[in-house]
Amino acid sequence: MASPRERLPGELVFSCLMLMMSAFLLWTAYMISGLKSATSAGSFPMAAAATMLVCSLIAVAQAARAPLAAGEPGESLVRQFFRRIAPPVLLWTTLAIVVYMLTLEWLGFVVGSYLFLIVAMWILGGRRIVLNLVVSALVLAAIYVVFQTAFSVVLPAGSLWQGVFK
Amino acid sequence: MSEALQFFFISWTDPKLIALAAAGTFAGIYIGAIPGLSVTMAVSILISFTFKWHVNEALVLIAGIYLGGVYGGSRSAILLNIPGAPAAIATGLDGYPLARRGEAGTAIGLTTVMSVIGGFVGIFALAVGAPLVAAFALKFGPRDYLMLAIWGILLVGSLSGGSLVKGIFSGALGVIIASVGLDPLTAEKRFTFGSVGLTAGISYIAAMIGFFGVSEILAQLHELHIKGVKQNVDKIIPSWAMVKKYLPLSMRTSAIGVGVGALPGAGGDIAALMAYDHARRTVKNPSRPFGEGAYEGIVAPESANNAAVGGAYVPMLTLGIPGDAVTAVIIGALYIHGLKPGPMLMIETPHLFWFTVGSLVLANLFLLLFGLTGIKIFAKVVETPKPILLPLILVLSAVGAYAINNSADDVYWMLAFGVFGYFLKMYGFQVGPVILGMILGPLMDRSYRQAMLSANEDVLVFASEFFTSPLSAVILAALTFTIFSQTGWYRRWRAARGAG
Repeated sequence: MASPRERLPGELVFSCLMLMMSAFLLWTAYMISGLKSATSAGSFPMAAAATMLVCSLIAVAQAARAPLAAGEPGESLVRQFFRRIAPPVLLWTTLAIVVYMLTLEWLGFVVGSYLFLIVAMWILGGRRIVLNLVVSALVLAAIYVVFQTAFSVVLPAGSLWQGVFK
Repeated sequence: MSEALQFFFISWTDPKLIALAAAGTFAGIYIGAIPGLSVTMAVSILISFTFKWHVNEALVLIAGIYLGGVYGGSRSAILLNIPGAPAAIATGLDGYPLARRGEAGTAIGLTTVMSVIGGFVGIFALAVGAPLVAAFALKFGPRDYLMLAIWGILLVGSLSGGSLVKGIFSGALGVIIASVGLDPLTAEKRFTFGSVGLTAGISYIAAMIGFFGVSEILAQLHELHIKGVKQNVDKIIPSWAMVKKYLPLSMRTSAIGVGVGALPGAGGDIAALMAYDHARRTVKNPSRPFGEGAYEGIVAPESANNAAVGGAYVPMLTLGIPGDAVTAVIIGALYIHGLKPGPMLMIETPHLFWFTVGSLVLANLFLLLFGLTGIKIFAKVVETPKPILLPLILVLSAVGAYAINNSADDVYWMLAFGVFGYFLKMYGFQVGPVILGMILGPLMDRSYRQAMLSANEDVLVFASEFFTSPLSAVILAALTFTIFSQTGWYRRWRAARGAG
């Protein structure tokens, strides 16, 4: 936006990361086929990466010029970042998602999803444990039946259980 | 003509397709209404499940979800003052004050009828306009397609109120993501970094679910504690006198909706805001002042956003260029089913076009039925607490990504794009253009190379052809204006003109 806006904590760092990523992508695009032809496999990706580079340069300049958003009195930039951009609930939820997705094939869809639902509901502030257990079970049963039958989706059975039930 | 009618009624005569239209519309209303669920998110997740289906079944379900979802957003805007979808932001301005006056039922009834009217206007425009646009689009050369695609990305980036620079960055990022893998013309490896897995490219469905599903959920974690005020809902079917009174405004704003929806990149949200603005400027004696519960303030945006659905289908089916983020996702679905949206789609597979029109009409009728019934249960469902709702969407997202290739790799991509998308959103980089860039990237790459080859790789000849062809010159002018209108100079000029 043209109107002056406040810079969020971490915005300048993120914009710089985007700039570095753009430069790397431009180099990688150049390495595809160099500048040998205007219609080579790398020509259009180079144009796209160059566009990213220019835009991210402007974004860095805009972020550097913008005044930093006011935090709470005596609050450091890092603390402000963790309060406004990456609060604990977000970090814990992201961790739960990462663990869930990494263990999905190992634990299987049913067990993995059930554990994830209960943990995530707890993290997000759902403190009625019995309700969480029941809702998770019912919804998971519905998802399982609908997706296995109507959508013919093969859900991971879980490599962990193959040895157990054989 | 009789053949067109025959195709039109395919979804009306097959019980399975009727059931899917009903289920899609019903689900769409709830998906659109529940804050935290978006139509784009739902369609992205759904595509991964329906790609094994027959194309007709997938299309009818998506049509229902799209129409229902655009409408559904208004309900939570009225009942909870939380727009369920961006297209309902304008509706809440007068809808919620109406609900606070105890007129939630009337507001919902009126929005339903006006949405259906808007929907029909949009579908009519699609049925009449698309064949004409498709015939005209045959004149388009690769250069024109390249510029139309760039224009679409620019519009998504700029009209959504974000920074143009960041919108362009996002669009270009999407183009890069789309080019990962083997070049379709020369089979050279692009951005594969020596990985065999990357030679097949990155699944854009995984990216879509990540950008629209996971990142949206992460963003919603900031709003866990926002609660709406519960409303009593009574009589919802509006009187005929009321419908008749607001019909002219509905028709006018539907026309705005069709026009905005048909612009590449601009969807129901922009249409609704423009229609609201139109109503505010042109209605001399509103039922109440705007912002305090004027019926005109809900009629205008609701007619426009549903009319924009039909409008958005026009560039999607005729040019292969999405009208908004949802149609970008639908284009992805069409590709999965082996179809190539564009002028040839209308010529080679007219049945598909008339089938789509028929399905939209059917879904619009179901919208009327479901919109005017079951409101009390509905009011309870939209109040589903986020601590329960958000984890469920994450599970559905994981299932959706896994279902693409029965592979955990797509789940990891989805997660990576989800987290990346969250930070992009937080720092003002829109994610809509990324998806548009991904969908349009291959078309842009191919069009650019074809245009350059036809100019014998002479950059000067290539550049001059943008001005020598009248069609290219017009598109270039529109493109330039879009960029220029986002600059400080233009804004200052407008402000000075307004003050003068």
